[in-house]
Order: sequence, then C-alpha cells, then structure tokens
Amino acid sequence: MNKKEAERKLGLFDAVMMGLGGAIGIEIFVLLNHATVIAGPTIVSALFLCGIINLLTMLSFSELGAAIPEVGGEYSYAKAAFGGFLAFLTGWLRWISNVFGAALAAIGFAVHVLFFIPLDVPLLVPLMAAIIIVILTFLSVRGIHQIGTVIVIAFLAVFIVFIVGGFLHGLEPKTLYPSTIGEASNVFAAVAYTFIMFLGMRSIAAGGPKIRNPGKNIPRAILISVVILIVLYSGIAYVTISVVPLEDIAVSSIPITLAAKKILGDTGAMILTVAGIIAALSSLSTAMMVQSSIVRGLSRDGYFPKFLLSTHKRFKTPHVSIIFGSIFYILFAITGVIEFVGYVAGFASILGFAFVNLAVIRLRMKRPRMERAFKVPLYPYTPIVGILVSLMLLIFIERSAFLLGSGFIVLGLVAYHLKMVGYQRIRIAFGGMSLGMGGFTALLAYIIKTGFVLPISVPPQLTDMFFYVLVFVSVIFIIAGILNITSKA
Amino acid sequence: MKIRKIIVTFFGIMQEVIGIATISFAYMLYYNFLGVQVSLNIPEQHVPFYLLLLFIFGFISIISGFFLLHERIESR
Repeated sequence: MNKKEAERKLGLFDAVMMGLGGAIGIEIFVLLNHATVIAGPTIVSALFLCGIINLLTMLSFSELGAAIPEVGGEYSYAKAAFGGFLAFLTGWLRWISNVFGAALAAIGFAVHVLFFIPLDVPLLVPLMAAIIIVILTFLSVRGIHQIGTVIVIAFLAVFIVFIVGGFLHGLEPKTLYPSTIGEASNVFAAVAYTFIMFLGMRSIAAGGPKIRNPGKNIPRAILISVVILIVLYSGIAYVTISVVPLEDIAVSSIPITLAAKKILGDTGAMILTVAGIIAALSSLSTAMMVQSSIVRGLSRDGYFPKFLLSTHKRFKTPHVSIIFGSIFYILFAITGVIEFVGYVAGFASILGFAFVNLAVIRLRMKRPRMERAFKVPLYPYTPIVGILVSLMLLIFIERSAFLLGSGFIVLGLVAYHLKMVGYQRIRIAFGGMSLGMGGFTALLAYIIKTGFVLPISVPPQLTDMFFYVLVFVSVIFIIAGILNITSKA
Repeated sequence: MKIRKIIVTFFGIMQEVIGIATISFAYMLYYNFLGVQVSLNIPEQHVPFYLLLLFIFGFISIISGFFLLHERIESR
C-alpha cells in the first residue's frame, strides 16, 4: 500500500456526513422567506432544480479534488488549470462568496436570537450581527475553532421531526411546479437566490484525498448527499408553505420557526430556533477559517500584501487575515438585509462554479494523463452544461447585488494588475481618476450653487449643505490625486 | 517627509470614508431609506443609473485611498 492509499481512511458514510455537514448551515433557515416571495409554492421545484444544478458542478469538484489534493479548493484547481488571472479570479470569487456567507450567518444568528428576546429596538439585528462577528473573531484569533461543530445527525433528526410532524399535522395541497413561462422564470430566480444552500457539499471534494476507493465512493457520496439535501430542503419548504400563509412567510425572517410553532407548538419553535442559532455559529466559524486560508493563499502568491500572512506570536493563529475578513463581514452584516447579502454570496459562487467546470475541461486537454481517481461522467457535456446553467443563473441575480459583486471583481482586477502591470503605473492611473473626479465634483458643486437645471432636485434647505459637502469632496479628491501621481516608485 | 506622511494618512482615510459613505448612500437610494428617492426627485427607473455612478465613484475613492494608506504603511 503506497502512502496515498494509506491516507485514505474515510468510507462512504463518512463522505456523506462530510457533505451534509458542510451543506447544512444557516442558509435554509434565512433564505426561505424571500425565495418563497419570488417563487411562491414552486419554491419546492426551485430547490429540486437547485440541487440538480449543484450536482453537475459537484462532479467537477470531485474530479479536481481527487486529482489535485491541495488546500485551497477552487483556487488550487484553477491555478493548475489556467494559472494567472483566471486562477486569481477564482480564488477572489471564493473569498467574496465566503465574506458574504459569513455576513449572512451573522445576520441569521441575530434574527434567531431575537426570537428569545422579542425587543422592538431599531438596528438590533445589525448590532447583534456585528457583536457575534467580533466575539468569534476574538475566539478564532485565540485558536478556538470548534465553536459551532454541527452534529449532522442531530440536524437531520430535527428536520425529519419537523417534516414528519408537518405531514401528520395535515398539509394544504399546492401546485408545486410552474405552469407558465413567468412562473418558470421565477423558479430560476429562486434557484439563483438559494444556490448557496448546497454549496457546502464541496467538502466531499476537499476531502477527496482521504476517501477510500474514491472512484466509487466520491460520486456515490455526492449523489446520496444531493438526494438527502433535496428531500430535506424541499420537504422543509413544502411543510412551511403549507402551514404558514405566504404573506406571513414574506414578512418573517424565521419562517421555519413560524411553521414549527404551528406544527409542534412552542417547544418545536424553540428547538428549530436553537438549531438555527447553532447552524449560524457553525457557518460563521467555518467561513472565518476558509476566508483566512484563501487570503493567506493569495498573499503567498503575491496578490495580496505579505503582512496578511502574519501569525500571532502567542496563539500561532493567522490573526491578521482573520481580522481582515471580519472587517468585511461587519461591513456587510450591518446592512441587516438578508436578501442582498444572500444574492451577492450567490453571485460569487455561481461565477466561481463556472470556472470550476471550465478548469475540468482545461485540465483534461492540458494534462490528459494526469492521475484522476474519479472522472466526471458524460464528459464534456456535464461541465459544459454546468457552465451554461451557471451563466444563465447570473441573469436572475438582483441588480444591486450584481453591481456590488461586479464592483468587487473590479477591485480584484486592480489587485491582480498591481502585481502584473506594476504598482506604480496603476497608482498613477488611479491618481488621474481621482483628480478627474475631483474636478467633476467641483463642477457639480458650482451647478448646484448657481441653480442650473439638474436631473435631480436638491431641496432648497439642503442646497448649501450639498454645496459644501461637494466642495469638501472635490478638494479631498484633487489633493489625493496629486499625492498619488507625485508618489515616488 | 514627516509632513507628507501626515497628509497622506489624512487624505487616505478621508477617501476611504468618502468611498464607504458613497456606497452606503447608494444603498439608501436603492432601498429608498428615509425617502431619499422622493426628496431628491429621482424616478424609480433612473435609480440603477445613479447606483452605477455612485458605485464607480465609491470604489475609485476606496482604491485611491488604499494607495495612500499603503504608502503610509510601507514607509514605517
């Protein structure tokens, strides 16, 4: 037995548990209400379709995970397949997806905790989300990672009790599949929104090097996990929409808890809420670890500043990269808007999935003799369909989330070109842009002051304030532009 | 050089703050928080255009500020 074979200790059951443990998180608890608003009762079809679409890419993940047993997931695969910009972009998208996933978990934690503390205080959700991020950051820096270790079996038991309880309670029959083009479009929109519910299954691919008989066990584990997740999520969605009126689901942040209360009473509601809290802590804790490893990987390859690689002298943890990510978590968690954060996480993941499928095709062409313990079935159709479906789903991402996600990609482009084109050139270019924007802002201030016709109308009492703010911004931009242009290499 | 360090730090921080404030304002506009769309008389169909402008402005501000702050960190 060679060394590689000796390391393969996990069987099929372990692999399935790995996939379920990675996938079952806060998403099902917090994304269901808006998904139901989008698709209505056809949310059940949307979750089924979402599972099937995820399955396509999970097969690609598995081939790559078994062939490239390295830490870093998508980034390592894209690095082996393309290198250069596409590798960086894939790592960057994974990072964005993680940051927004963590923000979603923090908001999810807050809305579930508030079930026990029914206070009507404004901004309580963003505040609690920020507090839990700070606490978990502190614990992660001290090297305590296993805060939300999810007992998968317990989660499955809770969900099964919920679903069976729902069926015994009696459910109102609904039409679960779309009958018009408009409804079909809504189903796809819900798929784009709920896409991240299945993402964690990639843990199976990440654990590929440890799985016995990978050629058989990996596809089986993925298939079993997908079937379990589809049944579980669709069952939860079906029970929820059947016992809670759609208009109540639309305005509730904890629709599953509402349903549990109707089916199992206060005890049921409490159990589901506690499960939501544990899922949120687990998702947040995992996202923190993954985010830190992506940032360190990108820093090691020179895309990010080297100081992000620093480790804590006493706790030996990557404290700088952990804190770096936490700043972004807080920034987006304090929006308190679950839909928006969920959409951006979905946007980055969907785009990242397209690159993973592309990496499979590229590696098959570039390194056909590479050792592959598992191969994607029906190649090349499976990864091609995976790419096309991923790109199609992007159409359904909400506009503001799409814009912010694209903005992040632009930031990534800058970071990449800093390495490739040279720091100084980029800096001068941004200095020039800053200068130009300073001039434009000064012109805008002048127009507002002189009362020229504008497409927006500034209230008269605010004209002076707008004028002074714009003059201030203009001065800052002009001087900042000059400082960037005149900097020494 | 000490004066340049102070200036660079100040303007770097200011650009970061302006960038974040601009993006926050874009969200306020999108969600019509405090009735911003009504008070600025912005029709709903024009909102995506203003969002795009504000996002570009905000991101350029953040990146430009980052360069200044990076100069400050590197010069330590």
